[in-house]
Amino acid sequence: MSPVLEWTALALAVPLLAGCQGPQSALDPASATARELARLWWVMSSVAGLVLLLVSVLWLYALFRAPRQYPQPQARRIQRRLLIGGGLLLPTLSVSALLFYGVNAARGMLPLGEAPLRLEITGHQWWWEVRYPQGDVVTANQLILPVGVPVDIEVSSADVIHAFWVPRLGGKLDMTPGRRHRVRLQADREGVFRGQCAEFCGTQHAHMILHVEALPPERFDVWLQARTQREAIAPAPGAAGELFASRCALCHRVAGVSDGRRGPDLTDLASRPTLGAGVIANDAAGLRRWLREHQRLKPGNGMPNHDDVDDTTLDALAAWLEGLAP
Amino acid sequence: MKRRSSHPDPARLHAQFERVWGSPSGWRALTVVNHTAIGRRFLITGAVFFLIGGLLAMLIRAQLAVPGYVLLEPDLYNQVFTMHGTVMMFLFAVPMMEGLAVYLIPKMLGARDLAFPRLSALGYWCYLFGGIILTASLVLEIAPKAGWFMYTPLSSAAHTPGMNSDFWLLGVTFVEISAVSAGVELVVSILRVRARGMALHQMPIYAWYILVMAGMIVVGFPPLILGSILLELERAAGLPFFDPGRGGDPLLWQHLFWLFGHPEVYIIFLPGAGIVSTLLPVFCGRPLVGYRWVVLSVLATGFISFGLWVHHMFTVGIPQLALAFFSAASMLVAIPTGVQVFAWLTTLWLGTPRYQVPMLWLVGFLIVFVAGGLTGVMLALVPFDWQVHDTHFVVAHMHYVLVGGMFFPLMAGLYYWLPHFSGRLPSERLGRWGFWLVFIGFNLTFLVMHWTGLLGMPRRVYTYDTGLGWDWPNLVSSIGSFVMAAGVATCLLDLLLHVRFGRPAGVNPWQADTLEWATDYPPASYNFLSLPDVNNRHPLWREPDLPQGIARGEHALVEIDHGRRDTWGVEALSGRVRDITQLPGNTWIPLIAALLLAGLCLSLLLKQYGLALGLSGVILLVLLHWSWRNGPLLSPGANLTVQANQPPLHWQTHDGPGLWGMAVTLVADGALYLSLLFGWFYLGIVTPVAGPTTVKVGAGWLLGSALLLTVGTLYLGGLLRRLRQGSEARLGIHLLLLTLLGLLQVTLLLGALQAAELQPRARALDAVVLVMLLYSLIHCALATILTALQAWRARLGYVSARQSYEPRVVAQLWLYNLGVLWISYLAIVLFPLGWGNGS
Repeated sequence: MSPVLEWTALALAVPLLAGCQGPQSALDPASATARELARLWWVMSSVAGLVLLLVSVLWLYALFRAPRQYPQPQARRIQRRLLIGGGLLLPTLSVSALLFYGVNAARGMLPLGEAPLRLEITGHQWWWEVRYPQGDVVTANQLILPVGVPVDIEVSSADVIHAFWVPRLGGKLDMTPGRRHRVRLQADREGVFRGQCAEFCGTQHAHMILHVEALPPERFDVWLQARTQREAIAPAPGAAGELFASRCALCHRVAGVSDGRRGPDLTDLASRPTLGAGVIANDAAGLRRWLREHQRLKPGNGMPNHDDVDDTTLDALAAWLEGLAP
Repeated sequence: MKRRSSHPDPARLHAQFERVWGSPSGWRALTVVNHTAIGRRFLITGAVFFLIGGLLAMLIRAQLAVPGYVLLEPDLYNQVFTMHGTVMMFLFAVPMMEGLAVYLIPKMLGARDLAFPRLSALGYWCYLFGGIILTASLVLEIAPKAGWFMYTPLSSAAHTPGMNSDFWLLGVTFVEISAVSAGVELVVSILRVRARGMALHQMPIYAWYILVMAGMIVVGFPPLILGSILLELERAAGLPFFDPGRGGDPLLWQHLFWLFGHPEVYIIFLPGAGIVSTLLPVFCGRPLVGYRWVVLSVLATGFISFGLWVHHMFTVGIPQLALAFFSAASMLVAIPTGVQVFAWLTTLWLGTPRYQVPMLWLVGFLIVFVAGGLTGVMLALVPFDWQVHDTHFVVAHMHYVLVGGMFFPLMAGLYYWLPHFSGRLPSERLGRWGFWLVFIGFNLTFLVMHWTGLLGMPRRVYTYDTGLGWDWPNLVSSIGSFVMAAGVATCLLDLLLHVRFGRPAGVNPWQADTLEWATDYPPASYNFLSLPDVNNRHPLWREPDLPQGIARGEHALVEIDHGRRDTWGVEALSGRVRDITQLPGNTWIPLIAALLLAGLCLSLLLKQYGLALGLSGVILLVLLHWSWRNGPLLSPGANLTVQANQPPLHWQTHDGPGLWGMAVTLVADGALYLSLLFGWFYLGIVTPVAGPTTVKVGAGWLLGSALLLTVGTLYLGGLLRRLRQGSEARLGIHLLLLTLLGLLQVTLLLGALQAAELQPRARALDAVVLVMLLYSLIHCALATILTALQAWRARLGYVSARQSYEPRVVAQLWLYNLGVLWISYLAIVLFPLGWGNGS
């Protein structure tokens, strides 16, 4: 290959590959399933591109070449060849090949048998409830997985239809009220992946983001251990405590303190990277801003405004919430 | 064939025809039933809704241009994208294609109007009023906001309180009256109202496409109508069809929706392909290659499209085997489409192409549509769909298919038929600018959008974060969409300017082969002064002078002094004439009926159920009055005798278009009922339900009613047999007795409803049974009322052995009711015995 060609190929390929990357990109796979799906795309799009090129070029050539007269028998022959070859055989053969390939690829992705780790995710408007039955661990809007271990996730919904989807780990599955479906994920590398609800679920469908993190198995065990054998949490002190008990506790659970079920469980709140299912970063400023302005940051969310609460109490509440880590 | 040796003065004849057929102006323009006027109204109204839908698209693209930008608050944004889809699908694509067909079909087939002109008018008014109600909701900011697919439970009363979803369910159902009535109208007209001698296989190819499209509307829309009725009943009356807590299932809605939704795609695409198959041969100067192949592929597409609705539901968790089946079926549709694409290509290959503006749009169509078809094949592959389903990849695919398959051919068709509408030619230069702007803008918008979807951007999000790689593709899409809008504006400018500045078109400006070019441009209300015989596919290529001969009155049915609107009624297959179909004149009834229906729709929206009930009664009276103006009462004051050498008027035969109209309507009705039956079995078998699955109904009453209905139907059948043999003794008395029998049967049905111990608010299965029983009750009551009217008409002498066509129409309803009631009996009473008792 001449150096010019080489450089051109490189110049084309680099931005193309860079353009595939992203925390939620289906073309930046981090599991065997997602890799298979990405390969499917590259194969199919190349073939489809060729077919499109072929048909378009034939069509434009027929349109712009000098018109010519065909004697009747020849016209009939051309007609038969094109209709049978292009109209019947081409689609039949390519579709059969594709179907064969696709059905086989799908079979490999099915959750057959039992995976060593099983957990449950329930969709809510507009947040994710994540349960690890082994340790009776509940968290929200974050999914922590061990690398290299198949994980079965039972998905369902508490209200409307949502869809569970972490593109870099695999395809999506609907979360339907009244039904439970199982999806299997197996991350093959450490990292942070982004999931997002993929079925339109109302006002804040855009802000239903799931932080997914794959840890090496030993670190995952530590993570789960910490939540299973956590120390008792002391209730918030003073005015903040009263505020929490009279309002927050009605909807939010903090293990050992309150038992609300309508909103996200807050037991390990401080360990989560974002607030409001991906709306803002969970740092000191972010937490205070969320408590004050959550209806402006995520209009329509289920938490009422608490404009009557003074800054001191809110700050004390925030300080207590910041301690909610295993 | 020249029927007359001495022609009367054509100018005088034209004036006389205009008196009988003419469309009045001023207030009385509201009474017009003529297909040319109605078709034009459909097209103009559709164009207005297209601009509204386009405006909504611009809002969407403006909001998504950069990350985090909130031009519209989330709730309003959700209304905007829901209404963009709803307007484009229900108020633009389908009505536009139907309007074009309403305008063109009689002219192409050499007839003077469609079979049921009053029905076309009703359809138009329902469309207009329904469209206004739907768009009004957007102005009031209470528009539907659960997506154009209205998935429940999101659209249910619990999660979307307020009127938003009701606007969709009631408004769209109202608009669908229009779609289905146009469907019935077109099927019957294509089969029964053509030029003398035009056999089915000699029809212009466009008529085949429209026949299949109309048939698909008739079968495809009722599932959604039923779904909408059920969901509205759930929202308004608490019947839990889709509530998993009470034995319902949200997936039932998805099945009903996509049972409609997938055929809908082909309902939109087929007429577009029909335009391509019509225009391409004209611009190649040779017949379409493989007419038979194309007809077969169109029929195949129609059938296959009903077998692949599940491919919109690959991610709902359906068994693997079913997925493989629907995956294969979805890909199968590539074959008939491939045949058409190669038939067009071969036509181009063997012809001598002319490269004019309509041709430009056809080239655009091919590239865009084939690209959309190819991504469609990818999506049919289940695992790939798991990844890109509900992402912007699908948005891109769908726009390639729909804009490519419908909008591009539509624009080609508009440019092609423009001289026909106005008598003038548009500007070549503006036309080219318009095309290139749309083509470039479209691809800029949607080609990039595939990538956005692969990078993981879901659909229907009102905003997105930066840092995900979605920023620049979204910006490019937004810029492209505004380029496309500029292209649409250029075309619009061209359309407006050409009315004043366009060159006169002359006769047959594109050297076309089909009969619509044998009318005046713009056409007279009666299309053809005299009706030519047709016995080949290319009448104007065979006889280029045909237009002049028609205008001189050299062909058939030039008599007009009788004051009737006459056109040929032909045998469906052969095109042999069997009657003169006498068409109704202008009337206020369709407008009044549509206004009352709009009132009904509004009173349901506002939950004024007493008023709704009252209005339903008035609507029934108006429609009965409509049916009364039939047969000899069709056009008061007209002379009803025909010349000795001519066939009888249609209502003097045993078989008229009304009989076919009833049959096709019952097919639509049957599709609705089958969808309900599907719901019954789905909830009974597939849905995981706790508790008993049997329903306590008044089985004895139901059986009695069904037996009585059997007796009545047999009785009516015997009556019709004797009528056919010429015996009409005591016809009125017999029909009266039959009415009484019908009354008794309806009473028994009411008894069954009374005796049933239903808890329709607590259990979905009970609610379905309630709807099934009410369905039969309404139908049987209607049959009884119509029978009573027939008894009255027999007494007045409008129905007799010589005019036995009307009771035959009513008999079809009896037979239909019989089938439905027995099926319901089997389904409700006997079938659940086999379901067992448990969950």
